[in-house]
Amino acid sequence: MASNDPEHREEEAGDTAAGEDEDTGAQIAPIVRLEEVTVTTGEEDEDVILDLKAKLYRFDKEGNQWKERGTGSVKILKHKEKGKVRLVMRQVKTLKICANHSILPSIKLQEHAGNEKSCVWHATDFSDGELKDETFCIRFGSIENCKLFMETVEKQAEALGKTEEKESVEADAAAGELEKLSVGGESKSEEKPADEKPADEKPVVVDEKEKEKETETKVE
Amino acid sequence: MALPNQQTVEYPSFKLVLVGDGGTGKTTFVKRHLTGEFEKKYEPTIGVEVHPLDFHTNCGRIRFYCWDTAGQEKFGGLRDGYYIHGQCAIIMFDVTARLTYKNVPTWHRDLCRVCENIPVVLCGNKVDVKNRQVKAKMVTFHRKKNLQYYEISAKSNYNFEKPFLYLARKLAGDPNLHFVESPALAPPEVQIDLAQQQLHEQELAAAAAQPLPDDDDESLD
Repeated sequence: MASNDPEHREEEAGDTAAGEDEDTGAQIAPIVRLEEVTVTTGEEDEDVILDLKAKLYRFDKEGNQWKERGTGSVKILKHKEKGKVRLVMRQVKTLKICANHSILPSIKLQEHAGNEKSCVWHATDFSDGELKDETFCIRFGSIENCKLFMETVEKQAEALGKTEEKESVEADAAAGELEKLSVGGESKSEEKPADEKPADEKPVVVDEKEKEKETETKVE
Repeated sequence: MALPNQQTVEYPSFKLVLVGDGGTGKTTFVKRHLTGEFEKKYEPTIGVEVHPLDFHTNCGRIRFYCWDTAGQEKFGGLRDGYYIHGQCAIIMFDVTARLTYKNVPTWHRDLCRVCENIPVVLCGNKVDVKNRQVKAKMVTFHRKKNLQYYEISAKSNYNFEKPFLYLARKLAGDPNLHFVESPALAPPEVQIDLAQQQLHEQELAAAAAQPLPDDDDESLD
């Protein structure tokens, strides 16, 4: 939000300076009263790995043709805790979402024939709140930006693939570890009763968030 | 103002009447906002098509029910029903066709007969075209009738958000209202099997061979 807002304002100011936003409309009584609300972008818990201006197209299978989806900034976002990576693109000025999908290890990007500044891929898109299979094409202002985009997505997908592999291998081991940890936690809480809640509670949960939740319920 | 067969929403919604001569780009403009696409082919609208258009603002989400009407008389001259309960309006003309501007007063008169005192935006569309017939200085009607005027291009997206922003500000009486990012929710997990994956890859190869609709390099830097 913070990163896009100044840009938004700047454009507005620029247009006013050009004298185009002169209000020649009649004074009309408003018909609704709206209160300012807190704006959430849904991207608050993510790091921006890449942010580039681009134009997005979706493939219309019936018409066997590419159709414009929007122009704006395409972002690759990585969740700070979960590590999940996704692509989010918003239309400039209206800031509506034109693409929102997970980057999976299986993603395959390829150059778009006839244009080195563009590439294509397939994704399950969640732009309008329901999952839809889409084939996308994105066009950048330069060949360099297109390369950078492809490399970034591929690198992230590869890293995700490695994590998934590692996770599945370690799954069994982790289950065992968890048991040990909870036993260890319990003994720890006995050692330091002042730091913890009464001794009759369940074994200490490893996950910090879970712990917070538990404390909260107890306080209430 | 929703139609009986339209789902109602729990956030503010407004009936927007979109009028103007046939071929001035009303449907293309609405489609541009709905899906992002730019439709080159002309297919006259018959009667009326109502499209919900949502915007996220610093004052919450709002919706315009856009009544995209037939501009061509032969496809159903506008009945009062299209205008009734209209809360705001856009009158569109084509800056490359003088007659469409000449007809603006007629559209305005018809609109005002049914809808009194609603915010109205006059839009001169297709300003991306080099040989304009209606120059900016020739557009004076909005001053006489106290309308807001924007030069727009549904093709290049020039000023394409302005009419909605203006109407939203007037309807809410808030000159500082502005569009904000709509929340990008985390996409749910998807499982793709190998067969699907192969199908997608085939489709991808076919799609990659198709040219893009526009290869003009507007600034993307």
